[in-house]
Amino acid sequence: MDAERRVSPPVAREATLEIEGDVMRLAGAWTVDAAAGVEHWLGGRPRTRLERALGGPDGKERRAGPAEVSIDGSELVALDTAGAWLLQRMVGTLANAGRRPVLTGFRAEHTALLQMVSAPAMRAALPAPAAAPGLLARIGRLAWERIGQGSELLAFIGEVGIAAARSAVRPARIRWRPILYNIRTAGFDALPITGLLIFLMGIVISYQGATQLKRYGANIFVADLVGLSMLRELAPLLTAIIVAGRSGSAYAAQIGTMKVTEEIDALRTVGIPPLDQLVLPKLAALAIALPLLTVYADALGVAGGMVMARGELGVGFSEFADRLQRALYLSDFLVGIGKAPVFAAIISVIGCFQGFQVAGDAESVGHRTTVSVVQSIFLVIVADAIFSVVFLRLGI
Amino acid sequence: MGEPGRAGEPIIAVRELRTRFGDAVVHDGVSLDVCEGEIFALAGASGCGKSTLLRELILLHRPDSGSIRVFGRDVSGLGDEQALALRRNWGVLFERGALFGSLTVSENVGLPLREHTRLGDRLIDEIAAVKIALTGLPASAGSKYPSELSGGMRKRAALARAIALDPKLLFLDEPTAGLDPLSAAGFDELVRQLKELLGLTIFMVTHDLDLLWRVADRVAFMVGGRIVGIGTMQELSTSEEPLVREYFYGPRGRGAQEQAWKRR
Repeated sequence: MDAERRVSPPVAREATLEIEGDVMRLAGAWTVDAAAGVEHWLGGRPRTRLERALGGPDGKERRAGPAEVSIDGSELVALDTAGAWLLQRMVGTLANAGRRPVLTGFRAEHTALLQMVSAPAMRAALPAPAAAPGLLARIGRLAWERIGQGSELLAFIGEVGIAAARSAVRPARIRWRPILYNIRTAGFDALPITGLLIFLMGIVISYQGATQLKRYGANIFVADLVGLSMLRELAPLLTAIIVAGRSGSAYAAQIGTMKVTEEIDALRTVGIPPLDQLVLPKLAALAIALPLLTVYADALGVAGGMVMARGELGVGFSEFADRLQRALYLSDFLVGIGKAPVFAAIISVIGCFQGFQVAGDAESVGHRTTVSVVQSIFLVIVADAIFSVVFLRLGI
Repeated sequence: MGEPGRAGEPIIAVRELRTRFGDAVVHDGVSLDVCEGEIFALAGASGCGKSTLLRELILLHRPDSGSIRVFGRDVSGLGDEQALALRRNWGVLFERGALFGSLTVSENVGLPLREHTRLGDRLIDEIAAVKIALTGLPASAGSKYPSELSGGMRKRAALARAIALDPKLLFLDEPTAGLDPLSAAGFDELVRQLKELLGLTIFMVTHDLDLLWRVADRVAFMVGGRIVGIGTMQELSTSEEPLVREYFYGPRGRGAQEQAWKRR
């Protein structure tokens, strides 16, 4: 037997695999750290690598000598399941190549571990990876999901409608406490941020308009510009977007978490319909709070415009207010306020719906919360566009 | 850095541990040793400080005073890297499993391997499958998400993750809580088997009397932040300490004891 020695190159820490003729010697600690080194040495084609090391060129022209390969484990210091599995894999590779591996010198506990990982249950353990779906299948699946979501949303809107009608018929069932609580959290608590943002928006509109108006000496029309854009469009829209981000997301996260912790199921079992307890109060509260917030936003937006108009255009507060009175009709104010309840319904229904769509885990809560904000802002803007077209047709 | 489990020194040594949350005293001078290769159980009523002690052992909470040595190293004031080295040598099974919901069972088990070793993806998947099979789960469980599993299966999957890195030391927090009697009995067996097979040292917190009788080598009994009895179940069952007697000779205690005798 030619005593050609091949030692696996630097194997992590102290694990070594020494191959000498038909004898493989394992030494050191074959543990989860060391297994990486041996695995890298074996590389992607362990059969070739082992065969070459054992003396047969790629297994094609095997020597006439004994097919038996003895694997000596007497120098093993430690063996864990990762090491045992790697060894088991090598044994399997050799067996497939027509060799007959024989284990010698293993300690009793190492033998037990090897037996454990070579149990039939373990070998069958690795399930075949599922094939990745093709592009067409992915598009189809996505479309199907969207259609399903759409019909579920419709069903949810229907359920909420029925629950609302039931409450309207029997007002005694209305839960006032959560309604008031939600008015506070979604409305009152949103006053500072909404006020600040809309005030800044008023300043920006006024400033942008100022450079244009100055050129024509039409300084006083800044009141028309700020008043109309604020009352008709910006105040309702901006308020709705802020509330969607603040409260719509909170609704989705709250209901979603309650679903994960089975609190929704608990509500059902004690005879409280989750829609009555969780959705209707939010819907009612937002339908009250959002128009009020919009009025507040109207006032602060115009105030922002006034401040800028005086600074940049020399239009005093009283002149501005005087012009505003003549530029605006009651309908402009009502058009803005009238949109708010619709936006409120969109935000609360989408937020709650996405909350109920949460399935199982924490990641799902995060995903649904994001979706709720994106969808409700999207739908609010779409609804606003529809309003604009309708009002134009009606000449309001 | 000492090699884990040096002979002669206990794997876990707790000395004069004191912990308080505000005014509430949780531990009032706790001392105990866990030797290599034993299954050590910490028993006691709910709220007596068992779980806090476990959290302190696994570096999730700092005691106010006293010392904790694990693998011969003082765990207080360890740097991040030293703490990581220590953490790699133990596995923890949390009471509710704490599997990551966004990963499949197989990915959950493979996560510590992917994070801490340089093994190839395929080998990691295979090792994860071996661990999953070891804990008695069917192979099909690997590709499922935790939310699709039953409570008992989730516990087993969490155990598979706890032994992913072949730790020397395994912490089990209420391993049989929330399992039906049959699953719980299966879990007892599993813990014993794994201990034999992988040469584990196990520290568990439990108030499951069956588990104490059938699996634990030694039991420490904790009442109001103090250890009032420590020893084998035989020794504890003959203890004169009234609190211990009450616990073991209540109606359920007796039943569990009889069961344990019948099985032997």
